[in-house]
Amino acid sequence: MRELFNRYRFFFLAVALLLSSLLLYSYNLRNKGATTFFERAILTFASPFQVGLDGSVNFVKDSWNNYLWLIDARQQNQQLLQENQQLTAELQQVEEIRLQNQRLRNLLDFIDDVDRAALPAQVIGEDASNWARTLTINKGSRSGLRDGLPVVAAGGVVGRIIKTAPGSSRVLLVTDASSNVAALVQRTRSRGVLQGRGAKLTLKYALRDADIAVGDLLVTSGMGGVFPKGLSLGKVEIVERDELDLFQRIQVASAVDFSHLEEVMVLVDLDR
Amino acid sequence: MRRFLFYLLIGIFFALLQSSLFPLLLPTGLRPNLLLILILYLGLSENFSRAVVIGLLLGGIQDSFSGTSLGLYVTVDLAILLLVRLLSEHLNAESPALLLLLISGGTLVQNLLVGFCLMLFADAGPILSILLLALPQQLLANLLAAVVLLILLLRFQPLFGSRSGMPGLIYQSKRHGS
Repeated sequence: MRELFNRYRFFFLAVALLLSSLLLYSYNLRNKGATTFFERAILTFASPFQVGLDGSVNFVKDSWNNYLWLIDARQQNQQLLQENQQLTAELQQVEEIRLQNQRLRNLLDFIDDVDRAALPAQVIGEDASNWARTLTINKGSRSGLRDGLPVVAAGGVVGRIIKTAPGSSRVLLVTDASSNVAALVQRTRSRGVLQGRGAKLTLKYALRDADIAVGDLLVTSGMGGVFPKGLSLGKVEIVERDELDLFQRIQVASAVDFSHLEEVMVLVDLDR
Repeated sequence: MRRFLFYLLIGIFFALLQSSLFPLLLPTGLRPNLLLILILYLGLSENFSRAVVIGLLLGGIQDSFSGTSLGLYVTVDLAILLLVRLLSEHLNAESPALLLLLISGGTLVQNLLVGFCLMLFADAGPILSILLLALPQQLLANLLAAVVLLILLLRFQPLFGSRSGMPGLIYQSKRHGS
């Protein structure tokens, strides 16, 4: 008997527990009005939490409702935000105009130094490929531009026009590999040809014995008939001399920051 | 004792959620029965005597927050707990999919048992049809709640790493169901 009980202990226990709980349920069904000790204890314990939870939910609900009720304030706020955004945009435009004015003044000062008539133009595009270095400007043949005209910025030489359309032109930058500009070292008047190398420039045909040092300024020599004499091209960065080589290898940094170029001047005619 | 109190507090918290928060947020049919999930979890993870005692108390808590008489959920939850204990030795409780399957089965069994008890003892009229009509929504709500709880448990799994097995959590201890 004991062995039987041990073997089926789980089932005996389960049945006993289930019967007990059913009896409890049945008993409580007959006494519906009475609250048991267990129920009272649980509800007493849970009551403050329930009040707290209810208060929290009501607080959230009230906040939500108040927010929804403040529909006018929200609209007003949106209107003011819109107005604020508009004013901020206008202020930014004014600031943009101020900066443009500053840049154009610098450019005009530069043009005064050049002593040539110039047509201002805006950069409206860059080369579509990743190897060529050209720009598109918003002035073309309608404005009197033609191929070969030099393009400059406040810093110095930008390049020359290689293609013109009625309303726009393409400018070959001095940094393009196909660009060659006759240059001379301002300090020593040594001559050479500045060739584009993408981001940088190299001075070709500078004789091995020529006095060229790092930091020297290179300017246009005026040879070749494209660029007037004396326009800034860039500064010498690296100078390498080889005993067996006829020429020096000179790397030059352009005077113009092409990555931030927005306005340029096209030098349209010969000396005033 | 700490685990005992932990389960009780969790049970009361779930009951509070079911009674105070869910009615404000969810339509009637879609309120999950978190206590059922806890009962199933208990059946898979705790030893027999502890599971039975806590299960009875959780049933009592559920009865305190619902229905008219103490004992209905005590009986039903106990029956579910015993069924889970019978099955748990043959199940891989670490499988989250199995836990979800158990919750589906548990929901079905709970509804049937509640209907049976109410019809047999309380003469509750068309309770069975009401329960059956609400069953699909209840099933969906319970499964969704179980998935959310499982995700939360998996997220906080490292905190329970050294404890005994947790149903639905992969690579936990194999000691659960002992």
